[in-house]
Amino acid sequence: MIDPTCNLLPEGLEDRLPPDASALARIERGMLEVMDAHGYDFVRPPLIEFEKSMAMRMEGVQPRRMFRFVDPRSLRTLALRSDITVQVGRIAATGLASAPRPLRLCYSGPVVRITGDTLDPRRESLQIGAELIGSDSVAAAAEIVSVAVEALSRAGATRISVDFTLPDLVDTLAAEALPLAPEQIEDVRRELDGKDVGGLKAVGGEAYLPLLYATGPFEDAIRRLSEVGAGGALDSRIEGLQQIAARIGDGVRLTLDPTERHGFEYQSWFGFMLYAEGVRGALGRGGTYHIRGADEPATGFSLFPDPLVEAMTVSESRPSVFLPLGHDVAAAAALRGKGWRTVAALSEREYPAELGCTHCLQDAQAVKL
Amino acid sequence: MPEPLTFAVPKGRILDEALPVMEQAGVVPESAFHDKANRSLSFASESGDMRIIRVRAFDVATFVAFGAAQAGIVGSDVVEEFQYSELYAPVDLDIGHCRLSIAEPKDADAASGHASHLRIATKYPNITSRWFEQHGIQAECIKLNGAMELAPSLGLAGRIVDLVSTGRTLKENGLVETDILMPVSARLIVNRAALKTESRVADLVERFRALSHKAAA
Repeated sequence: MIDPTCNLLPEGLEDRLPPDASALARIERGMLEVMDAHGYDFVRPPLIEFEKSMAMRMEGVQPRRMFRFVDPRSLRTLALRSDITVQVGRIAATGLASAPRPLRLCYSGPVVRITGDTLDPRRESLQIGAELIGSDSVAAAAEIVSVAVEALSRAGATRISVDFTLPDLVDTLAAEALPLAPEQIEDVRRELDGKDVGGLKAVGGEAYLPLLYATGPFEDAIRRLSEVGAGGALDSRIEGLQQIAARIGDGVRLTLDPTERHGFEYQSWFGFMLYAEGVRGALGRGGTYHIRGADEPATGFSLFPDPLVEAMTVSESRPSVFLPLGHDVAAAAALRGKGWRTVAALSEREYPAELGCTHCLQDAQAVKL
Repeated sequence: MPEPLTFAVPKGRILDEALPVMEQAGVVPESAFHDKANRSLSFASESGDMRIIRVRAFDVATFVAFGAAQAGIVGSDVVEEFQYSELYAPVDLDIGHCRLSIAEPKDADAASGHASHLRIATKYPNITSRWFEQHGIQAECIKLNGAMELAPSLGLAGRIVDLVSTGRTLKENGLVETDILMPVSARLIVNRAALKTESRVADLVERFRALSHKAAA
């Protein structure tokens, strides 16, 4: 007897079945087309790498959250990738180190993490993204945000919303304008992160309270952020944000949350999150960062389109033609050439409707069932 | 008309104090909400643009963290216990004050104060083990959902961690408060994604924030 649990998939992993699998494939294709059209070259790094090389490339990458094991050949620790961005960083710093800058690269592939959490139990997801290597300027950030938005809307996301953030804000302010003791910084960041007014006061970060209010629709929030002043420490950042915002087309809702840090482990001065209608949580994020080892600035984004599949459960049944036994092979090929889908009979006992066909081939014509 | 926002409120302790604050912020449940005989769990607001659900305090945080409700009111004890990354607590409502404390039998053995391992009955295993970790003690938490005060006398656990407001329940059960883990007050909580994508959620936060500023002034 077969043990009934041996067919179980491990927690957080799933089979993508029709029609979801093809919806995801279509999303992936659409996004890659957008990035390709904007001049981003496709790269395909491996699934597994040395843990060390993935961990050292960018600040804040935690190998603890990766599947790791010992390589029987080199006896070094290997890790399954949990973020393709670091791999692209390695490529830029090694194989393509001498390629002219700015270097535009894009990628798509599965990533895994060792545990899910209560809010998102998924342990495998599809990551699609683009990296602009060699620049973290306002122009680079504006290009990356608009390509990301275009990729999302090509994939079918509606009512897209972009949330800007300034990931290194607390470090910048703590240095001079609103001084904090080194041991206070982590507490203040945590409470700002939870937007916890009571908690922030309790850890002595009262001076940072105005930052919590500089959150919301972009125009409003940026005005409140400029009122914080901070001795001009923020002027260049505020101006940068305004220029990026000006580049984003209408129809996209813009918000600002200067103290957000979820998912911004390695970003420097600029970061953003992407949201869309009907999708719980963020669909992607991006920003400026530094590639360690090469000491090179870069800007990029990553999209995680899996939740989009569930949000778009519009089943579009494509017309398919049933080909009876002994059908006209040339006529069937001609139909496929015109974009039809064909389903050929293998025996007498098959019925077109059961196989999901909408038409049947009769006298070299597709006849509606 | 857009989907109504869902606002989650906890049953019990905080609710009586929260209702007047909600009313000032324009969140007024329909009259059926106050009808004790009514078994519904979901109510319309008087203005009709919101749905108000009444659930257990811990579930308020879960509903909001998952985005099933966009906003709610819950004690900071619950916010700390879960530390959900999708949860914001932008307004301290300054109501429902109490504290989360450790209590032990008043005739407890003084030597147990130096233990490296303790057994504790609590509804808050995460906060409790974090707090004891910082004090270099491995706390073995036994999760109970109520009547913690019974645990020491029946030998289930040496100490308890529970909410204390007046301390009367502890006293009646022969327990004394030895340490405070955290002061607790009620917070307005919102879902992170909802705050960023729904302007109505941001407006709601503004209304509650204006109230708390007025109260402070």
